[in-house]
Amino acid sequence: MSKSPIVAENLVRHFGDVQAVKGINLEIKAGEVFGFLGPNGAGKSTAVRMLTTLLRPTSGSARVAGFDVVTEADQVRRNIGVALQDAAIDPLMTGAELLALQAVLYGIPASLLKQRSNELLERVGLTAAASRRVSTYSGGMRRRLDLALSLIHQPSVLFLDEPTTGLDPMSRLTLWEEVRRLNREGTTVMLTTQYLEEADQLADRIAIIDHGKIVREGKPADLKASVGAPTLIINTNTDQVEKANAVLSTFGDLRPGAEGALGVGLRGGAAQVTEVVRKLDEAGVRVQHLEINEPSLDDVFAEATGHRLEGADNAPSAGDNGDEQPQKKKRRGKK
Amino acid sequence: MSTIATRTPTLTTSDMHSTTARSSWQLVKRGLINTRRLPSAFFPALAMPIFNMISFSGTFFALTKLPGFPTDRSVNWFMPLGLAMGSAFSGVGLGFSLIRDLENGFFDRLRMSPTSRISLIIGPVLATWIRVTLVAVMVFVAGTLLGARPTAGVMSYVCSWVAAIGISTIGAGWGLALAFRFQDMRGAAVMQLSIFLTMFLSTAQVPLNVMTGWLHTAARINPVTNIFRLARAGWVNANDADYLSWQNAYGGLIAIFVLSTLAFVFALRSLQKIDN
Repeated sequence: MSKSPIVAENLVRHFGDVQAVKGINLEIKAGEVFGFLGPNGAGKSTAVRMLTTLLRPTSGSARVAGFDVVTEADQVRRNIGVALQDAAIDPLMTGAELLALQAVLYGIPASLLKQRSNELLERVGLTAAASRRVSTYSGGMRRRLDLALSLIHQPSVLFLDEPTTGLDPMSRLTLWEEVRRLNREGTTVMLTTQYLEEADQLADRIAIIDHGKIVREGKPADLKASVGAPTLIINTNTDQVEKANAVLSTFGDLRPGAEGALGVGLRGGAAQVTEVVRKLDEAGVRVQHLEINEPSLDDVFAEATGHRLEGADNAPSAGDNGDEQPQKKKRRGKK
Repeated sequence: MSTIATRTPTLTTSDMHSTTARSSWQLVKRGLINTRRLPSAFFPALAMPIFNMISFSGTFFALTKLPGFPTDRSVNWFMPLGLAMGSAFSGVGLGFSLIRDLENGFFDRLRMSPTSRISLIIGPVLATWIRVTLVAVMVFVAGTLLGARPTAGVMSYVCSWVAAIGISTIGAGWGLALAFRFQDMRGAAVMQLSIFLTMFLSTAQVPLNVMTGWLHTAARINPVTNIFRLARAGWVNANDADYLSWQNAYGGLIAIFVLSTLAFVFALRSLQKIDN
């Protein structure tokens, strides 16, 4: 039996006629940060809910921290920390009260409860806000509290389901740094995200999931290298798309571009750009915009699935500035 | 985020002892904190029984003139009804709170903890008992001001309180079970409709001996009738010294025990099925 902290074998989950997860196989090694990358509705959260004992698999099996997620759910729960997609926090309670509740539910001895809570509040930078109601917290503060709650019992495996969705760039960076620190301290992290940059920055290995199936898995650098050639993206008039594709296909495999754009993987590398432009000109194709991209995880995703990662372009870059508003109320739809 | 100079010792699973009692008590505290911080959610459960008691005892005062009506004080009859309705409302209100927790994901956090599943039910139900006790005190004070007079001293209040706790437990179990089954607001309508239909198809409004036809049959077989008999045991039949007796109380106690157990088991089984 594998000693890896997360192992899934042919994990399947149906919701009526809908197959949300279609036979996932995973093995995440101790001390890894593993990225689960995919668009909304790809099956990431459903897979995480099965691995964290919240949802029973329709078929297949999974072991987390050495225990079966169905038959040994209690032992799994004792060993994992989970921060789900929406920071699920009672807005009427204060940060300190929620930590106390969480500590008791995990059976932390009363003698250690205060010290552990204070330590975590300090760690996530919420000591000053500990006695404030959560309804007054910003989105970033909620996420940090959510992370603190998931760490109350010092879990060896941490699940983070889209931990930075909706956060401003500064809060994202702060959370990334904390994930790195936890990993350095020995915590195995499974992270789901729809942000390419996040997966690229944090994950030692990545699985790309689409329509409930893992379509690629490996180290980010290896995955990008597997795509090989850089991608030339052009925009042209819609009536010239056919003509342009005919020219582009002579330079390499056509790749799906973002909305309305055409793409080609340049077999001969970036040096071919001049030649492509000349050929397009000769064919009478009017190029409105042109750019060349080194292989990215989005290219890996596009090559594996035939489409670009939805929402990837909308993710706030860590270099951007953004304002963050306090979140008064949040509702969660059924997955 | 900052670095910590001193750290708590590394915990092992053997250090962690989550007991049902400790977890339940923490969830009781959470329920009371929420009540204190969101009094508007508790206000209907507090105001409704007092309003019902006032309006029913005034509007249906003439009922006391019916032959065989067991008291000449309408408030003595309707005060236990108001309290029962408030208790039922508090009970099913727990189902509403659970739906909110399910929808915003907070209940997932509770489910992901290794604490016993029973504590996730017992804790909130105990918090409801405390709220119902507050409601009972307010109703007794208001009832006394309106002229309600016990016929069996302190035991009159005790019987009404026990009945109120019983009704709230049944309502809470039923509400939690439906919330676990539906997991959204569809459950709320079923909770309210079923609880209040069951209550009104009993002796909630008038005694069994003045009912006729199908309503009489329904009320006679409805176990809630026994609970109302218990609730009113110390408020009616002032001239009958034996009225507050074990004979008049045991039916209500059995009904409370059986219905509470069924509702509790239904809630627990529904919770266990929530991950399917």
